[in-house]
Amino acid sequence: MALTMRSPSILALALCLIVPAGAVAQETRAEEIAAKQKAKAAAATPYQPNAFERVMGRLEEGFVSPPNGWYPAFGSIYPGGGLSLGVGYRHFDRREAIWDVHGLYSIKGYKLLEFGTISPWDGRGRFGYDAKVGWLDAPQVAYYGLGMGGGPGRANYHLSQTYASFAALMRPTPWTRLRGEIGYDGFDTQEGRGRAPSIETLYNPLTAPGLGSSPSFIRTEAGAAIDWRTSPSYSAKGGFYGVTLANYSDTGDDFGFKRLDAELIQHVPLLRGNWVISLRGRMQTILDDNDVVPYFLLPQLGSGSTLRGYPTGFFRDRHSLLTSAEFRWIPNRLALDMAIFYDAGKVTRDRSDLDFSELESSWGFGARFHAPRSTILRIEAARPKTGKFRLIVATGAAF
Amino acid sequence: MASNMIQRRVKHALAVVAAIVAVQVVRSDVSGVLQAQRVKFFSDDPLTREPDTQDASKVQVMEIGLSSDLLLNLFTKLGDPSTNVKARNINTIDEVPDSSWFNNRIYSRDLTVDELTRGANASEPPASGRWTVIRGKSTGAATGFTARDEKGQVWFVSFDGRDIPVAPTAAAMVATKLFWALGYNQVETHLTTMVPENVVVDPQATLRAHGKRRTLTTDDVEDVFKRSAASADGSYRAIVGRAVPGYVGHFRYFGTRPDDPNDVVDHEHRRELRALKVFGAWTNLVDMKAGNTLDALEKNGSLSVVKHYLQDVGSTFGTGANAPREDDEGHEYLYQGAPLAKRLFTFGLFVRPWQKMDYVENAEIGKFEGTEFEPEDWKPRVPVAALRHARADDNFWAALRVMAFTDDHIRAAVKTGGYTDPAAEKLLADILIQRRDKIGKTYLSRINPLTRFAVSGDAVTFENPAVKAGYATAPKGGYEATWATFNNGTGEASPIGSPITSADERVQLPASVPGSEQFVKVSIRAVDPPHAPWSTPVNVYLRRAADGWQLVGVER
Repeated sequence: MALTMRSPSILALALCLIVPAGAVAQETRAEEIAAKQKAKAAAATPYQPNAFERVMGRLEEGFVSPPNGWYPAFGSIYPGGGLSLGVGYRHFDRREAIWDVHGLYSIKGYKLLEFGTISPWDGRGRFGYDAKVGWLDAPQVAYYGLGMGGGPGRANYHLSQTYASFAALMRPTPWTRLRGEIGYDGFDTQEGRGRAPSIETLYNPLTAPGLGSSPSFIRTEAGAAIDWRTSPSYSAKGGFYGVTLANYSDTGDDFGFKRLDAELIQHVPLLRGNWVISLRGRMQTILDDNDVVPYFLLPQLGSGSTLRGYPTGFFRDRHSLLTSAEFRWIPNRLALDMAIFYDAGKVTRDRSDLDFSELESSWGFGARFHAPRSTILRIEAARPKTGKFRLIVATGAAF
Repeated sequence: MASNMIQRRVKHALAVVAAIVAVQVVRSDVSGVLQAQRVKFFSDDPLTREPDTQDASKVQVMEIGLSSDLLLNLFTKLGDPSTNVKARNINTIDEVPDSSWFNNRIYSRDLTVDELTRGANASEPPASGRWTVIRGKSTGAATGFTARDEKGQVWFVSFDGRDIPVAPTAAAMVATKLFWALGYNQVETHLTTMVPENVVVDPQATLRAHGKRRTLTTDDVEDVFKRSAASADGSYRAIVGRAVPGYVGHFRYFGTRPDDPNDVVDHEHRRELRALKVFGAWTNLVDMKAGNTLDALEKNGSLSVVKHYLQDVGSTFGTGANAPREDDEGHEYLYQGAPLAKRLFTFGLFVRPWQKMDYVENAEIGKFEGTEFEPEDWKPRVPVAALRHARADDNFWAALRVMAFTDDHIRAAVKTGGYTDPAAEKLLADILIQRRDKIGKTYLSRINPLTRFAVSGDAVTFENPAVKAGYATAPKGGYEATWATFNNGTGEASPIGSPITSADERVQLPASVPGSEQFVKVSIRAVDPPHAPWSTPVNVYLRRAADGWQLVGVER
């Protein structure tokens, strides 16, 4: 269409474009404001959150009240297996129970498939339950022999486990916890994979009790605790004092044992939480000297949370004692803790040797990035009495 | 035929070019006229009400994410990057006109104790009897739900956290009164008690959980009560806020709502929002986030306009919804680089004063004190843009309002909190009085504080509120006034005579001003004052009116 001066609308448009809207003289302040509002009315558009706001909105909802459906899963499959990633599907029912199935695969080739339900999903109810069935496969679990003396060196074993369990939880008061659990654990051991030699090439049934066996257990546990920490995954105050008795009944009558675990944790905030002294004592003991415990279920020390200067499972025997102390300082209350820590402990064949003499120790330092109730990332360097620093990258608190 | 068409098109093109040239000429003339007509004072100055002239009925609900709002405020500088920008919604006498954001109450007029304690409560409290829960609460730390009373009125119900009875609901009640008196739109809020037996769930009630809205159950409501503080008689203390119709989301402390045509002043440049730096310090209102604001569509004559509320001012004084305040709240932002780095590299040996601060132990008050309070050091959780832009004149304006609360006002407001411990009520009032005085002493020393200018007979009178309140001594040399005629079109001022000095808070009008002069200006400063900034003059403008001179401008 030809542009002609007979098109008054075109001329009007030209005038509008050339003369700024605000340039029409106003005689009052109110008119001046009205002109601005009129100009904005012509260009008013609904608010649109930007990409960052949309992503944060989804993360926020997922954190506060996770949605039903598929989700990325991460965590640990078995001690020493390294960081694991996977995928899960979950569904929340009206009573806030979560039904979940997830699979994980670790950087060391460990695998896990688990289906379960927990109620309530956030663990805050007075009564709760936790039921699950699953299978895991850990092809290169390290074994270093019994006791503190060190065996012939690292060997690997391959452990597969099929499990099913049901735990009932009760919280009579906000600080007290009672827990009962019954479960089935079916183990299958095979030649270890990885760079280290397989376990049977370095160890025998005397130095690795139960070597070559694949027992299955009916496990029953009972536990009681006082827990006034903010959360097991992150706390800068409060304490945990708990005891758990577990009975492993071998379905084949070759093994079978009772184990008692006792743990004391205390966080002492100083100067309005500027510093926190965190202390832990833990004892694990096989109750009956005649009980036979397979090597892969013996109490052990050494990992990213116990005797942190040593690799996972470096020390194993029938009884263990662990003490830890941390000096934590808090550069930012909501996000960052720093820590210097010292761990000391021992494993023994006889309970009478479970004392504070000849403890192995390690020390280290690290940073913990956390939310108010959970440690999101823990990066630490830990050094044994002699040897090099080990780097620890973990989720969750050491204790 | 083709050549005719070409000729016609050339003619048309030339005509368009001519029109554009003509318009450009007109434009330059218009600009010139505008330049000449641009005056300092319009005929309706000083404006007493900021108008809403456009219909805003098309605004849509604007939800602001909690995390993004927090992170963006913490780690970026939202809003105008310029600094030291004068507030843009003030009138020519340095005051904030009434608006859909703000209503002048305390300081601007004598506010009675009755008015203060009534606050925003213009109608009846909730009907006693049965409550019907119609919606679950899925945001915010406080436990609660939305429920209908026996008369069908809908209320937002919030309880005290299980381990902190009285404190959160009391704080919210008191703060609502104080912020209403300060001029903000507040939701009508009442203190009440609820008995679980009188609470039923509407079959249509829903709760948003796990990414979708589902039916609300009696278990959900029982869970709310389990997480709330019960009284010895089994009842639950609650505050109920009347549901505001026309909900359209929240406002942010920077920029404007893109869909609200009447929202034309960037929020970081609105004085009443900047003033929250002082009001927040007074009351320890640490939780300033978009989620604690509320925008609602209301009818204003034939137009629908957006009214802006400070919805949730309960995060005040010494308590949160479920626990006393954290020690660093009010003293540090949630993230603050310098102290974080100092603590990080000194193993925590860098200790701030708040880490050694003592509080009077009172469970109903929490961590709130006045002895070591330093108004200028106070910080909310995140440095919202409006507070970052607050200047000395904004803080001064706010301080005048805080100072306008008498001890009686404060004690009456605190009484509305329904504290069960008389010691708590006294403690909170004492602390607020102490903090009020510190605010006055601090901010009235940062700027020439002369105010309440008026023409009285043959003189201009004013007030020095710092002297009046006993926060400072009068300037030893009195006040020096320099008169000038003022050209409203050009902005030029021509001195009239020599500066005159007055020992009192009044200066004589010039003996004679030519009848052709419509405006005069007087610059008043303190001579030999107790605070150096008082030497900077305040410029006061008067306009000639039929019955004499009339105040039209105040510049600090």
